[in-house]
Amino acid sequence: MALTGRAGLLALIGVLVVGLLMPSWQGIFVMLGVVLLCVAVDLVLAAGVRRLTFTRAGATSVRTGELCTVQLTVHNPGRRLRGVLRDAWAPSAGVVADRVPLDVPAGGSRVLSFELRPVRRGDRTADRVTVRSLGPLGIAARQGSHQVPWTVRALPPFHSRRHLPALLERLRELDGRRASLIRGAGTEFDSLRTYVIGDDVRSIDWRASARSSDVVVRTWRPERDRQVTIVLDTSRTSAGRVDGVLGGLPRLDTSMDAALLLSALASQARDQVDFLAFSHKVRASVPRASLPVMVQAMAPLEAELVEFDARGAVSEVLRRASRRSLVVLLTSLEPSIEHGLLPLLPSLAARHRLLIASVSDPAVHAMASGRGDLESVYAAAAAERTLAERRRLTALLARHGVEVVDALPDELPRALADRYLSLKAAGKL
Amino acid sequence: MTAVSPDARRIWAAARAPLLIGVVILFAAAVITLLRGTGEGGALDPRSFRPEGSHAVARLLEQNGVRVELTDDASAVDGATLFVTHPNLIAPDRLTELSRRAAATVLVAPAGGVGQVAQETREPGCALAAKAGAATSGGFVYQGEQQCYDSTLVRTGTVTAIGHGAIFTNGELDAEGNAALALSLLGQHERLVWYMPSVADRAQQKSLTDLVPDGWKFGALQLGVAAVLVALWRARRLGRVVPEPLPVVVRAAETVEGRARLYQRSRASTHAAAVLRQAARDRLSPVLGLPAGEDPSDEIARRTSRPVAQVRALLHSEEPVDDRGLVALASELDALENEVRKG
Repeated sequence: MALTGRAGLLALIGVLVVGLLMPSWQGIFVMLGVVLLCVAVDLVLAAGVRRLTFTRAGATSVRTGELCTVQLTVHNPGRRLRGVLRDAWAPSAGVVADRVPLDVPAGGSRVLSFELRPVRRGDRTADRVTVRSLGPLGIAARQGSHQVPWTVRALPPFHSRRHLPALLERLRELDGRRASLIRGAGTEFDSLRTYVIGDDVRSIDWRASARSSDVVVRTWRPERDRQVTIVLDTSRTSAGRVDGVLGGLPRLDTSMDAALLLSALASQARDQVDFLAFSHKVRASVPRASLPVMVQAMAPLEAELVEFDARGAVSEVLRRASRRSLVVLLTSLEPSIEHGLLPLLPSLAARHRLLIASVSDPAVHAMASGRGDLESVYAAAAAERTLAERRRLTALLARHGVEVVDALPDELPRALADRYLSLKAAGKL
Repeated sequence: MTAVSPDARRIWAAARAPLLIGVVILFAAAVITLLRGTGEGGALDPRSFRPEGSHAVARLLEQNGVRVELTDDASAVDGATLFVTHPNLIAPDRLTELSRRAAATVLVAPAGGVGQVAQETREPGCALAAKAGAATSGGFVYQGEQQCYDSTLVRTGTVTAIGHGAIFTNGELDAEGNAALALSLLGQHERLVWYMPSVADRAQQKSLTDLVPDGWKFGALQLGVAAVLVALWRARRLGRVVPEPLPVVVRAAETVEGRARLYQRSRASTHAAAVLRQAARDRLSPVLGLPAGEDPSDEIARRTSRPVAQVRALLHSEEPVDDRGLVALASELDALENEVRKG
């Protein structure tokens, strides 16, 4: 049961009655009796909450930060129900208004719409539906809860998709669909066509020109149908929060953004993308990933406080990727790489090309330029020490033939995609 | 059924154990209170058998033919001995009035002492208590017409003040001449009014609440009832609180900040200086077009027209540096870097 403000108001009117008419204990008990009687009448006459039935429909997934709608149908088998209903969700599900007034006629149904704007990635589940059914006097109400499960999956926001048009433009330049095709922008022989002014004279195929009446040039296209294996590190290093334009996000979210941009670009370039999320075991795995499938697989992933098992990850990659492929490892450049990943590089590099993408921390860069007082200079020294460590690791990895992209969170997706395109242009996939 | 709220049967099932425990506790408390009997027993209470009570002296007085009347308002004191156990709880003018009406007055530790002495056995040293002899005395010291026991027992007119009530207690009554002294003080007349004032006696006049009309008082009570109802209305939540499943997130720069503080606490200024120098060399080499790891000092000296020795000392010195020197070094390295980038 629940009381309403009217119960308090009735007792407040009772102050006048007791004060002016019956200034005694008797008066107080009379007023209390009146209130209790009204409450009892309301509780008896209010519609039952227990026998209500509920069904849900509506969105099951939405991009984080965007609006979706979930419908809740209330069926009332008893007498007319007036009151208020609360559809409770976890705060990060971002329900715009979770309390709605409710009026269901006897034997009737009502469809209620709730708007959700999830603020955090992952599976957002509905908690309980609570109904407060008011009595005819509006002084007391019956209240009860129902479990009506529903899950809305908040997908990664994929902010970096705004880079996609520019990147696709660059890809088309490589692809021979544009007239400005130049030699070197691709390594696979595509076709012969007649020379037009502006073509590079070095690409003229003299042998073919001799057989034809026109001057003929060779065109090239970038390699296709290569395999890109994206490995997302979800271990402890990806839990670190790094401040970007969008506020503080874990490294994991930035890595996901970069992975999505890369896979969108790679699938446009007709490369095959395999996705693998790994901490100390396989967290998610999508072979031949299309963007929607990959986004669904990523959504519920959270960073775990375990050490990245490099040996397990490498053997998993070697098991999956049958032919030579580009292995993109989204992780953080930390000294632990030296013991974990470095000894395994020869076996990996023998068959694949490895590209490591790492989110660097703008806070460390800001600390490194701190000057003035003793505290900031010590902070600068500590930050420089960390940066030097990263430079050393980058050099060490480069010596093993590993490509490294180390960029700030806002720049990483674009930097990774650019590196992919230049590898593709150079025919190094 | 999707309903998850408890029905009447489940509420009863959940509540009966706590209810049973509550009933058992109440029952036990009642039994214990009844078995222990009257728990009265303030200090100098003639009904109390405790060491600090005064049943013994009251009984002795009765055996000697003195009528002991225990009271808490002392209205009938005329012609009797008035014994006030806590005179400080009575308004001074009322105390004066009572002592004027009483034939004799004995006050235990009243206000107005001029000092304090430790409690010990003393000789009387005055005619008033010569018969009683040595007795336990101490507490406050007063001034008066007759002074006994180093002024801890003082009589002025009919009023006797005693610095401490020890001689009247069950625990001390049988020591030295305590009993004799107590009987001689309290048994001066046939009737003894044993006045134990309570705190309320201090304000004998009508209190403010008595002056407020009933309508206001009960109105305020009813207002309290209304407040409780409003509180119940606001306290009832519409469904339970939903917890947020938070992921593990730590600030990535925390380890770096920790290292900075370790440097500072261990005053590792020389080490910090070496790190800053190395970082400056690493930044300057690519600017000058040198391969990483090569010493840029000569090239810098050529570009900035600084002496080579000075540049080398700035970039390579391994001399110990203090805190002040570290801050200066950081600025010097910055200045050098700016010069190179400009030049």
